[in-house]
Amino acid sequence: MNDLLAVEATGVTKTFGSVLAVDDITIRVAAGEVYGVLGPNGAGKTTFLRMLFGLIRPDSGTIEVLGKSWGADGVGVLDGVGGFIESPRFYPYLTGRQNLEGLALLDGGVRPGLLEELLELVEMTDRADQKVGGYSYGMRQRLGVAASLLREPRLLVLDEPANGLDPAGIRDMRALVKRLANSGLTVLLSSHDMDEVEEICDNVTIMKRGTVAFHGTIAKLRTMAPDPGHLLATTDDTRALALAEQHPALRVTRDPEAALVVTGPTPDVSAYVAALVRNNIDLLTLTQTQTPLEALFFMLTDDTTHQTLDRPAELAELAEAAR
Amino acid sequence: MSATTTAAAPVDTSPATRRHPGALAPLRWEIRKLRAQYRAKAVLIGALVLPVIVVVVIQGQSRPPKDTLFGRFATDNGFALSLLVLGFAAQWVLPLLTAVVAGDIFASEDQHGTWKTVLTRSTSRAQLFWAKTLTACGFAVIVLAVLATSTIVSSVLIVGHQPLTGLSGQTIPAAEALRLVAASWATMLPAMLGFTCLAILLSVWSRNPAVGIAAPVVIGMVMQLVGALGGVEAIRPFLLTTPFEAWHGLFADPRFTGPLTEGLITSAAWCAVCLGAAFVMLRRRDITGG
Amino acid sequence: MRRTILVILAALVAVIALGSAVVATSGDTSTVTRPRLERSLTTNFANQYADQARIQGRRITPASLHAKAMCDKAGAENNDVGPGGDWNCLMSWTDPEVPMPPEGYGKFELNVHSNDCYTVGSPSKLTGFLTMTDAEGREVTNPVFEFDGCFDPNGDNTPTGVVFPSLLAVASTTITPDAHGNAGVQLTCGSGAKGCAGTIAVTAGDTKLGTMPFHLAEESTQTLQLPAPVPDGAAEVTFTVQMSTGVGPPKPVTLPVQGS
Ligand SMILES: Nc1ncnc2c1ncn2[C@@H]1O[C@H](COP(=O)(O)OP(=O)(O)OP(=O)(O)O)[C@@H](O)[C@H]1O
Ligand SMILES: [Mg+2]
Repeated sequence: MNDLLAVEATGVTKTFGSVLAVDDITIRVAAGEVYGVLGPNGAGKTTFLRMLFGLIRPDSGTIEVLGKSWGADGVGVLDGVGGFIESPRFYPYLTGRQNLEGLALLDGGVRPGLLEELLELVEMTDRADQKVGGYSYGMRQRLGVAASLLREPRLLVLDEPANGLDPAGIRDMRALVKRLANSGLTVLLSSHDMDEVEEICDNVTIMKRGTVAFHGTIAKLRTMAPDPGHLLATTDDTRALALAEQHPALRVTRDPEAALVVTGPTPDVSAYVAALVRNNIDLLTLTQTQTPLEALFFMLTDDTTHQTLDRPAELAELAEAAR
Repeated sequence: MSATTTAAAPVDTSPATRRHPGALAPLRWEIRKLRAQYRAKAVLIGALVLPVIVVVVIQGQSRPPKDTLFGRFATDNGFALSLLVLGFAAQWVLPLLTAVVAGDIFASEDQHGTWKTVLTRSTSRAQLFWAKTLTACGFAVIVLAVLATSTIVSSVLIVGHQPLTGLSGQTIPAAEALRLVAASWATMLPAMLGFTCLAILLSVWSRNPAVGIAAPVVIGMVMQLVGALGGVEAIRPFLLTTPFEAWHGLFADPRFTGPLTEGLITSAAWCAVCLGAAFVMLRRRDITGG
Repeated sequence: MRRTILVILAALVAVIALGSAVVATSGDTSTVTRPRLERSLTTNFANQYADQARIQGRRITPASLHAKAMCDKAGAENNDVGPGGDWNCLMSWTDPEVPMPPEGYGKFELNVHSNDCYTVGSPSKLTGFLTMTDAEGREVTNPVFEFDGCFDPNGDNTPTGVVFPSLLAVASTTITPDAHGNAGVQLTCGSGAKGCAGTIAVTAGDTKLGTMPFHLAEESTQTLQLPAPVPDGAAEVTFTVQMSTGVGPPKPVTLPVQGS
């Protein structure tokens, strides 16, 4: 099983008019893994996943899903693939159950009882006989999960599944994805949230303006993470800024909101804070701005960095420079 | 969705052989959706009830509407009245009735953003295209049948079934007249299907139900107008509204059916061109919405 | 929205261009032609007329009427092709109880549509008004007064060969001599074949003023000078028409002289 790639996209490119949405992307997802495609808004994640589902035709490149391709197998490519793109949509004049029944019809039928099981799983059983038109965003999202699982997929493709959900919904969604992954399902997930990807995924591709900015395991990504940033507010920011010159390991800048941003290794931050107190500068707040991975993510996808970083050496250099 | 509620993860990791939908599955799905739509039901009820009202109103007129064919007998001959309604229906009612479904059936997927929902299942664009086309055509047949039956039955019951004066001045016995009136209504079908295909094309192209429904009606009225102009009769055979008048030959003596054959060819050509264009458009299209 | 409008405009332009191209290359291809109209009208009329007779309680078969028609669109100089409200048809038929007028036909006005259907207005002098009295004395609609019909656009288009002579009429109602006694008289020649020709003998009281030859094209009007001055004191002038082509007034026409 494992020698078969769940997704093998090679040199995929797509332009919309003059916008290069996806630029020569190569992504390989092994069977059984949870794969994250991470990127800020407009990075091309959705465009890539749409191409995977055949909703959009790539300008060039090939996409094979579970060993099948659109050219050779037509809609057969989607055998064993389930999921949704952006927020799932349904027919508002039909009930949730009718929607699922109809989709099951288009799938060629389902295992008896599965539909009820899934409604139970996504906690939609008591709302299933109401029209989708009256559903909340989160309910549609959950119905979308049920609709995807109705296909009993081997590859689950989710485009920012937690988008728009409340904290509890996000937690449940992540838990579900993890559980599905543990049961052996291959999951391809897009997200703009580093935390989410870090929590769920084994492998990740970070996209930036249609190109790959990083490609590798989460573990590898962690080793490259820069130091955390802190947001610091004091009784005398000007003096605090002056004091920072005695701590060369730190980078302290003024934030537009009149606070200070302190970046550097944690021991140095502690020393700096102690120095502030010694100098009678009182701390009003000290909060961590980003997790290390988040900081890395912003660095990688920052529009002012025009390098493509898919080689660890280069990335390490960059992380070093940030220190 | 708490991860603790259900123990059994509904996931099949074995390379299960996937069931594939039969050819009729998308069609069944489209029909099911159509039946759930308020609009389709409203059209059918309208096709059933409106003719009765029109018949009653016209029958109550003191002066018959002479400027339409058979209008001069409409107040005292049921067959003439149903033919008058036929002539009126052909002007814009028939295109409208079919466009309400055909002009919406593709564009509503754009409206609801559901292309991505149905196209990520095991059904190809081609299968969906034909399912929708067949559904729209089937609806056209049903709505025409309802409208025709309602008109003929109500006008014959309310106004009567006297012998009819034909278009060569000949007298047509009631039984024969009934057959001819029914046949005339049936001859509306090819052009109505032509309008169905036109509405499908506009629905696919515009991705907007309002355009899909209104544009065929407007185009139909423009064609009607152009067809009535003198001097440009050379384009009459190409107009989709010309077959709507082909039934006249059935009421002449001797009967002539040339226009019916030509109308069939015209309608088929319109259908083929519109469906071909719509199919290519849908196949090539990038689904970026929804 | 702009895309939509642009495409609709483009489609309209394309349709109009195509339409004009078709029209330009095909010329006069209307299915509305004189022979088809003549054939359809006679059948239609005969049926309607027989129906009218039946209502009156008479028995007439359509065939016994031997209806013959000659149609003409918008004057002699125009082609007799195409739809319009300006079609006129001259039609003769034989009904022993309703003799034809001297010229031998009645004039029907037709409004012909591009869909090969038409509406006929009949000469009420010959066929009656909107309503008529049936055999039982009730007021009923007269089927012949106005009726509709349609003809086969692919039907027989060979000329029927039916022609009626033109009808000559004296259009002037008075004779108005000038200071020298010279005067003119206006003649009109109706639709029909070959126009009107012949001579007119003119007399004023007992005085013969001489004869005038005339030759008028179909559907034309002409003013002829009297061959001699009208004598002073003549009260009226009489015209006796001798036709060589066409039909003229069967009795001499007498016009009063307008005092000078
Ligand atoms: N239909 C379209 N027409 C024109 N440009 C498009 C279209 N769809 C996407 N794009 C462009 O392609 C680029 C990638 O968009 P895409 O939706 O794939 O990004 P994304 O990574 O999914 O972003 P988000 O996090 O906002 O969902 C963007 O610059 C977007 O503007
Ligand atoms: Mg997206």
